[in-house]
Amino acid sequence: MQRADVGCSDRASSTANETVQWTVSQSEDCLSESEYRAADRGEVRSSLCKAPSTWTQCKTLLGKDLKAEFRTKDMIVSMGIYAFLVIVVFGVALSFARPGSEFLEVSGGLLWALVVFTSLLGLNRSFAKETENGCLEGLLLAPLDRGVIFLAKATANLVFLLVVEVVAVPLYWVFFSSFAAPADTGWLLVVPLLLGSVGIAGIGTMLSTITAATRGKDVMLALLFVPVVFPLLYACVSATTCALVGGDVFADGFATSLALAGGYDVIMILASWVLYDFVVN
Amino acid sequence: MSDKKLKLPEVGQWPDKLVAPALIAGAVLSTVGFLMAFFYVAPVGGATVNGAELIGDVMVSQKMLLSQKIFYFHMPVAITSFIALGFGCYYAVRFLMTKNQRFDTCSRICLEIALLFVALTMITGEMWTRFEWGVWWSWEPRLTTYLILMLIVIAYFVLRSSVDEPERRGTFAAVVTIIATIDVPICFMITRLIPSSIHPVVLREGGMSPEMGLCVGLCALGMLCVGFVLYRARFNQVRLTQRVEALKETLDDERA
Repeated sequence: MQRADVGCSDRASSTANETVQWTVSQSEDCLSESEYRAADRGEVRSSLCKAPSTWTQCKTLLGKDLKAEFRTKDMIVSMGIYAFLVIVVFGVALSFARPGSEFLEVSGGLLWALVVFTSLLGLNRSFAKETENGCLEGLLLAPLDRGVIFLAKATANLVFLLVVEVVAVPLYWVFFSSFAAPADTGWLLVVPLLLGSVGIAGIGTMLSTITAATRGKDVMLALLFVPVVFPLLYACVSATTCALVGGDVFADGFATSLALAGGYDVIMILASWVLYDFVVN
Repeated sequence: MSDKKLKLPEVGQWPDKLVAPALIAGAVLSTVGFLMAFFYVAPVGGATVNGAELIGDVMVSQKMLLSQKIFYFHMPVAITSFIALGFGCYYAVRFLMTKNQRFDTCSRICLEIALLFVALTMITGEMWTRFEWGVWWSWEPRLTTYLILMLIVIAYFVLRSSVDEPERRGTFAAVVTIIATIDVPICFMITRLIPSSIHPVVLREGGMSPEMGLCVGLCALGMLCVGFVLYRARFNQVRLTQRVEALKETLDDERA
C-alpha cells in the first residue's frame, strides 16, 4: 500500500486514466516481483501476489475521483454557485410572501427542491470526465468487480453533494431565517439530509451511468431521476418539516419518515448495486 | 442464440390461437359489463351531498351516481395496466438473463400496452376525481403513485428513443423497468404511511355489493382479454416487420 500512495502522489497531474493504468500495472509488478523473490521468500510470495482487496480497490477509485475533483474543483464550484442561484430564485418567488410560522411548513420542501436541483447538476457531470478521457474503458478493463466501481462512484458523488450541502444549507438559513424561526428540534434536519443524500447519490449514480451513454443526457437524467427518487423526497421532506415545525408534528412523523427514507436507501442501493453490472458494460 | 433449448416467443405459437376467442370474449364482456353498469347495478350513493343542494335533490343524486359509473371502467383498466407492467418486468428479467433481443421486444410491447392503459386510467381517474371530489387533482396516495408510474413509463420510451445500439438500449430499458417495478410499491407505501396534513386522504373505504363485484369482474376480464389481444396483435406486427427486414437484408447480400 505504501507503493500505491507514492505512485499516486508522484504523478501530480495524473487523472483518472493514469490511476487505472497504474492499477493494472500494479498486478503485473506484483507478479514479476513475486517471481523474483520466490526463491528466497516463499512465505512473502503469497501476500505479494494477492490482488488488492475490495476495500483497497474502492479506496483507490474513490481517491482518484476526489483527487481529480479537488484539483480542478469545477464540479463543486459549479454546484455551489448553482445552489446559490436557486436560493436567489426562491427569494424572488417568495418576495411577496408574508413572514410567519406557516413558512416553516413550506421551507422543508424548498430546501429539498434546492438539494434535488443541485444534485441533478452534479450527477449530470459525474460521468462526463470518465467518458471524455476514456477512463471508463480503463476501469472496465481493470480486473475489478463492477459493484466496486458503483460503490466508489456513489461515494464520490455523496461526498460532493455533502460538501455542497454544508455550504448551501446554512446559506439557505441565512437568507430565509427572517421568515420564521425553526423549532428547537430544527438542527435534526441533518439526519434526513444525510439519509436523502445517500439515496440520491446511490440511485443517481446508477441513473447517470445509464444516461451518460444516451443522447440528450441532461434531460434524460432529470426525466428518470425525479420520478424514481420521488418516494425518498417525500419521506425526507416530511422528516425535515417535522424537525423544523417541532412539537406534536415532530413526535408524530419524524421517526416514521426517517425509517421509510432509510428503507428506500437500502432497497434502492442494493438494487442499483446488483443491476450496475449490466448497465456499465 | 447459442442456447438452442431457449424457447423464444414467436409469431404463430399457441397464444395466437387464443387471439380470436379472446377478442370475441373481450368485446362481449366489456360491452356486457358496460351495459350492466348502467342498467343492472343498483345506483350507489356517491360522496356526501355538498354544495349542490341548491339545484335540487334529484339533480344532485343523479350527477353523483352517474359519475360513479366510471368506476366500472376505471378499475379494470388500472388492473390491466398493472398486469401489463408485470409481464414487462418479467420479460425485462428474461432479457437481462439471456441478452436475447426477442425478450426486449416483448418487454417493450408490454410497456406500450401498459402506457395505453395507464393513459386510459389517468383520463377516467381525472374525470372521476373532478366529479366525485370536485377538484381536478389531489395529492392523494393512489393518484400520486399512479402519476409517478406514468412518468416512469413515459421516461422509459424517451430513454429507448435516445439510445441507438440495440443491446445497450435493451439493457438500459430492462434496468429501468425493474427499477420502476421496485419503486412504485415503495412510493405507494410511503405516501400511505406518511399522512400529509394539508391534503386529507379522500378515500371511501367500503365493500362492494355482490352485483357491483360481478360487474367489475366482468369488465376486468373483458379488459384483460382486450389487453392480451392488443399485445399479440402488436407483437405479430413487430415480429413480422423484423422478419421482413431480415429477409430483405439477406436478399441484398445475395444480390451483391
